Amino acid sequence: MIRVRHLTKEYADLHRGRFVALDGISFDAAAGQVFGLLGPNGAGKTTALRILSTVLVPTAGSAIVAGYDVLTQPSLVRRQIGFMSANTGIYDRMTAWEMVEYFGRLHDIEREPLRARMEALFERLKMNDIRDLLGAKMSTGMKQKVSIARALVHDPPVLVFDEATAGLDVLVARALLQTVAELREQGKCIIFSTHIMREAEKLCDHVAIMHRGRILSAGTLDELDARHGHRDLEETFFELVSGHEHDEAPTTQGGER
Amino acid sequence: MNWSHVRLILGREVRDQLRDRRTLFMIAVLPLLLYPLLGMSMFQIGQFVREQPTRVLLLGAEALPAEPKLVEDRSFAVALFAEPDQQRLVELHLADSEPGPTGKAWTLDDARRAVETGHFEAVVHVPSDFSRLLGDFQRQLKTGAETKAGGADTRQAEPQVPSPEILFNTAKEKSQLAFMRVSQLLERWREQIGRQNLIDSRLSPEVARPFAVSECDVAGQQQRESAVWSKVMPFLLLIWALTGAFYPAVDLCAGEKERGTLETLLSSPAQRIDIVGGKLLTVMLFSFSTAVLNILSMGLTGSIVMRQFPELGAPPPLAPLWLLVALVPVSALFGALCLALAALARSSKEGQYYLMPLVLVTLPLVVLPMAPGVELNLGNSLVPVTGIMLLLRTLLEGEYLRALQYVGPVACVTLACCLAAVRWAVDQFNSESVLFRESERFDMGLWFKHLLRDREDTPSASEAVVCGLLILLVRFFMSFALPQPGSFGDLIVLTLVTQLVVIGTPVMLMTIMLTRSPRATLLLRLPRWDVVPMAALLAVLMHPSAQLLSRFVQFLYPVNREVREALDGLMAGSAGHFWEMLLAMAIAPAVFEELAFRGFILSGFRRLGHQRQAIALSAFFFGISHALFQQSIVACLLGLVLGLVAVRSGSLLPCLTFHLIHNTLSLLAAQPGAFSWLGELVEAGEDGPTFGWPVIIVSGLLSALILVWFRRLPYPKTREEALEAARELADSKAEGGGRKAEDAAQAERDEQGDSDERRLTRAY
Repeated sequence: MIRVRHLTKEYADLHRGRFVALDGISFDAAAGQVFGLLGPNGAGKTTALRILSTVLVPTAGSAIVAGYDVLTQPSLVRRQIGFMSANTGIYDRMTAWEMVEYFGRLHDIEREPLRARMEALFERLKMNDIRDLLGAKMSTGMKQKVSIARALVHDPPVLVFDEATAGLDVLVARALLQTVAELREQGKCIIFSTHIMREAEKLCDHVAIMHRGRILSAGTLDELDARHGHRDLEETFFELVSGHEHDEAPTTQGGER
Repeated sequence: MNWSHVRLILGREVRDQLRDRRTLFMIAVLPLLLYPLLGMSMFQIGQFVREQPTRVLLLGAEALPAEPKLVEDRSFAVALFAEPDQQRLVELHLADSEPGPTGKAWTLDDARRAVETGHFEAVVHVPSDFSRLLGDFQRQLKTGAETKAGGADTRQAEPQVPSPEILFNTAKEKSQLAFMRVSQLLERWREQIGRQNLIDSRLSPEVARPFAVSECDVAGQQQRESAVWSKVMPFLLLIWALTGAFYPAVDLCAGEKERGTLETLLSSPAQRIDIVGGKLLTVMLFSFSTAVLNILSMGLTGSIVMRQFPELGAPPPLAPLWLLVALVPVSALFGALCLALAALARSSKEGQYYLMPLVLVTLPLVVLPMAPGVELNLGNSLVPVTGIMLLLRTLLEGEYLRALQYVGPVACVTLACCLAAVRWAVDQFNSESVLFRESERFDMGLWFKHLLRDREDTPSASEAVVCGLLILLVRFFMSFALPQPGSFGDLIVLTLVTQLVVIGTPVMLMTIMLTRSPRATLLLRLPRWDVVPMAALLAVLMHPSAQLLSRFVQFLYPVNREVREALDGLMAGSAGHFWEMLLAMAIAPAVFEELAFRGFILSGFRRLGHQRQAIALSAFFFGISHALFQQSIVACLLGLVLGLVAVRSGSLLPCLTFHLIHNTLSLLAAQPGAFSWLGELVEAGEDGPTFGWPVIIVSGLLSALILVWFRRLPYPKTREEALEAARELADSKAEGGGRKAEDAAQAERDEQGDSDERRLTRAY
């Protein structure tokens, strides 16, 4: 469902020069699978997910999402994905219903099927009481629910969740993880970035541990445990990240290119 | 563009804006309050200014003649005022009845200081012998008249009367007003004395005014009334259309970034052009509404206030119609400009800062039509914004036939500007560095280090802009720093120095410092064997058309007579110095300008990924780098041809050849008897030879064929251009074939994915 090869992204940064945010990462994610991108802040998770959702363009490498190339077929890719960002992206002056309807209509769903689908979604996510609430008056949990509804309204085969549980209280975070698990059961391909190991352990079938734009290790949880000799993902993560902590930050200075 | 997406985005944005109290205040409440408040305050201020009396000191009142009276009851005589109640506006102080600043009698120096310090706004100084000498002169006149009546021949009396003096201070406005008022009084007093003199000379006072000049205003009542409205209304319309576009644009772009909603919108199926389209229509709608509400409110307030000024009358009856028609392109242009600018801002606060530069750039274009004597003609109609304002003014004045002549040029220019502005806005929304710009502490040292450390093979688009601006700036300052050429020899030396310092040096320095590959940047490659001869042929064939264009431009915007005379004067010494001229005006510009505009600047703009846009931008900079506006227009169009040749051949050599031959032919054309071998096909004239229509048409057609040949040349794309082309292809497939295209893409995906992967991996 998702195939990423040698994906690279460079930025020009005043302090670090040409800074490599993604350094040739490759991975695959299949339908009915939750793929976790784990890494500390600044590892390159958000950049990778932004490229998959065609918001950013890679400097090199390729990514195929649901059969379409992010580089040359971005508009087709966008029809196949539901994207949810860490900052929820909720319009202050729109109600929950209007917001979900707006994105449903942007996906060219006709009014009546859309209404039926939204009724079902609002019921499933228990959002009927915030239906007419303006974005500015919503709590973080409510915003997150609207954000999920917006990502699911067109029933995409691929879901991209970028730090979706950041800033949520335990109850809301748990409900969100429950939703993700249900989506997996429905055969969706979910790519999920987080830096909370417990979430990844509960949810992910495959994980890739990222640090400074590179994938340090990837595989199923069992494969990772076996490879690194730990029973705990957090231990594996800590060992990998601290082992590379003193590596040079990847930059393309001088004649390295 | 997907119109259903555009409609959806428009609907959402409009609803969003209407729920925002700030926007509602700006577009609806402010106009309704502004004009009544403005009217009230203007009325009050006007009263205040009119009621201010002027303090005047009269020095030497004792030297005034008894008749006619200048001073009466310690004030200027009431007969000297046009209206008797104006007498209270001049407060007269007599120096002989008030002690001076030192406690003694006033002196002329005291009076001067009193005006300087503002104690008095004006001083009237009457010389001590004024009355005596005036009396002498009048007696001579009387005697002369009596003698003449007795039959004797006498000589006319010569006046020896000293001049009274008004002391005032031009640096102070109140003093200027006082001078105006007092000089009118003294003028009338002098007329009274003159009339008396004529009577004394036994002549009728009408001798001095044998006839009166009567006035006849042919303007009808409506024309007179519309004269003021036709100037004020377009101005206000444009200013409010700009203001009305700006605030929603900032909220729609910077606000969306602030709230973090932009990323979600960008990952939706709406394409960037749909997003820009929806937002642009929203901004246009608000710009339109703001301007309409302002005009309505102004009309309402005006109709009440203007009853006090019956000479102004009501606005022309068709005014609302013309204003609404003109508002559509105006709001589209300002909307697109504001959107593109607002996309740069990271926050609403930052967005507000961009308003001032936009207003400063637009204001001269809005104010130009207000200048006296500026009328709608072909030249003015081609100036963006100014043309539309002048057209609107002509329509408001009721000159429909005249307006109709210029609708075409105004519409073309406005449409071209709108399209360019929309393109810019779409590019802004396609630029990651604009959309995801993060705030970073600016450090000059780090920035320089970053420039040198992170340079690439070719310059960036912003470096190209800096290079273009640097050339313009250096040229501007050099034109003041260098002495004006006095002779032909000076002109040659100065032209060479200017080319080297203004164009050559910045370009070479920037190429060496900011790029890794001067060869790729300046296109220092050998082209295909047939490209250079074709470029040379193109230059020759384009010469007649270029000359015709140049003449047409000079017809539209005639060169100032002084400038033309100065140029002719300098070129007068050119006879017999053809080789020097060739060096300074053909070889040097061909080398340096090509290195700059088709080398560094074009390479920089090509990094944006749009070849046509890069050519247009480099041609624009090439155009404005020319000193004369008339030259700039022609150069800009030739820049487009040169840009095409550079991109398609991938080499600077054909451009250099074209430029050299073009300039050489222009120099040859100025030689006496040039192109006489063409016989009847060319006609010698004062400004050089004029080619006949057969030559122009045939050479023009052949040039077009060569340009098509250049367009069809296989050429090396930059990485950005290749990516844009691939994307356009994929988009057109998706839009054109719908589901079918998706299926086709699905079938191809593995193969294409693999090839893209290989290509991009290689590219990196």
